[in-house]
Amino acid sequence: MQGSTRRMGVMTDVHRRFLQLLMTHGVLEERDVKRLQKHCYKVHDCNATVEKLEDFINNINSVLESLYIEIKKGVTEDDGRPIYALVNLATTSVSKMASDFAENELDLFRKALELIIDSDTGFASSTNILNLVDQLKGKKMRKKEAEHVLQKFVQNKWLIEKEGEFTLHGRAILEMEQYIRETYPDAVKVCNICRGLLIQGQSCETCGIRMHLPCVAKYFQSSTEPHCPHCNDYWPHEVPEVFDPEKERETGMSRPNKRSLRSRQH
Amino acid sequence: MLQKPESGALPIPQAEREMDGSHDGETQALTASQEMAPSPLLQESPEEDLGAVREEGATEPCLTPRGARALAAKTLARRRACRRLDRTVAELVQFLLLKDRKKSPITRSEMVKYVIGDLKDLFPEIIARAADHLRYVFGFELKQLDRKHHTYILINKLKPIEDEEEALRGDGPRLGLLMMILGLIYMKGNSAREAQVWAMLRRLGVRPSKYHFLFGYPKRLIMEDFVQLRYLNYRRVPHTNPPECEFSWGPRSNLETSKMKVLGFVAKLHKKEPQHWPVQYREALADEADRARAGASVRARASTYPW
Repeated sequence: MQGSTRRMGVMTDVHRRFLQLLMTHGVLEERDVKRLQKHCYKVHDCNATVEKLEDFINNINSVLESLYIEIKKGVTEDDGRPIYALVNLATTSVSKMASDFAENELDLFRKALELIIDSDTGFASSTNILNLVDQLKGKKMRKKEAEHVLQKFVQNKWLIEKEGEFTLHGRAILEMEQYIRETYPDAVKVCNICRGLLIQGQSCETCGIRMHLPCVAKYFQSSTEPHCPHCNDYWPHEVPEVFDPEKERETGMSRPNKRSLRSRQH
Repeated sequence: MLQKPESGALPIPQAEREMDGSHDGETQALTASQEMAPSPLLQESPEEDLGAVREEGATEPCLTPRGARALAAKTLARRRACRRLDRTVAELVQFLLLKDRKKSPITRSEMVKYVIGDLKDLFPEIIARAADHLRYVFGFELKQLDRKHHTYILINKLKPIEDEEEALRGDGPRLGLLMMILGLIYMKGNSAREAQVWAMLRRLGVRPSKYHFLFGYPKRLIMEDFVQLRYLNYRRVPHTNPPECEFSWGPRSNLETSKMKVLGFVAKLHKKEPQHWPVQYREALADEADRARAGASVRARASTYPW
């Protein structure tokens, strides 16, 4: 076989602990990932300089490549926070969820997923999801039970709930983007700027193109009068602010997230 | 050039089958198993320069177009088989990691059913490679729980950090309860009657079927979860009337903790030193010595991981 000259990274206990903890959490925000990295260095190699996160992760990914998994970086759709998760490169649909949920629960997720993708806003109402409970594969599920299952999805960071409506968590998008694109090629929406899968976003009312909120923020960052990049019509929506990690720390908004770091991951 | 008959027996029919466009799976499986079994006909011929591929039989240089095609097809099939094997190993690694997060032992038949499929003859190689990956990449040791039933668990080889694990996993209280039970079992001579266990728990305010805010339903936790996870063994005591049952340490407890650790836990509870119980202390020392000896022999076997 052709000799592979790709230089493979080296794993130490620092990297192993990092991987284990990242897997335990499922998905982590960048700020918590950096803290996690520092923690791993402190435990296993306190004298070494902490490698730059990007290089650290690339190093691990070069080792993970032969296992068809990687640490993937994404961005939350609502406020542009960078997040990281360990994802499968060879997609087998909802495989990671399959070990935590029963057949009918997985089917409930699939039904919610379809409603979310088909919707215009990227949100599916609790009522609409629960109305599909009779069509689920596997053991019969009552609506009350389905409500609990939806909450389980939220706790495990597969769905986000906002005022009785559900959309996909950044983790689900990171893990399932390829699967979603392959399974729903016609219904899927794509961001005009980054070309990534789009669930939540803003759309031009004239030509219909869509953009992620963080992509809108970056694209219109320094323009006083935003115009649609496609049809040049006036952009009617409020332009959000670009996510600034420094600003976060000052205002002390990190506390609620600290709680989520400690919350139990199934 | 004609092929020597003894070297041509197996590969040629296979090559011909490939050119007929036979089923991929069949060819791959065959190639893969040929890959594993060292062939007595293996020879390296300088004339073959198709990426330095070893030939398993057809060692005579095949410079005819047909021969070259057969060689190329065989190379392709072998590469595909290797890739398939790699992917199966990778899937098994992911499967084991996922199953282990639920802390349930994984059986060989599950692995074959969900991951390995028709490559099951290569199970030993696949699981050995998966174990290497788990050890090198994630720091987990794949251990066979018992030889008879082919069940496996993952043990974390990284040094444990007390509060980090508890805070992250949120299993703290449940494992604390388990430690109490393991302690009782050990102090009572490595087995404790079920009645004794419940008596101890009742003193802690834990009743079998009453929902507890930390442990859920204790009876289910202990009799089902802990037993299923192999932390505890539960069996009928023979010749008892009315029939009584007893608990003893399960194989996972022996792997994840030790008599000395549990004795230390009990000692701390009573605010005493482990030596306060000379019988148990001696037994724990002997256990430590056994473990040290077992550990030394494992280290002597060098790791086969290429990195």
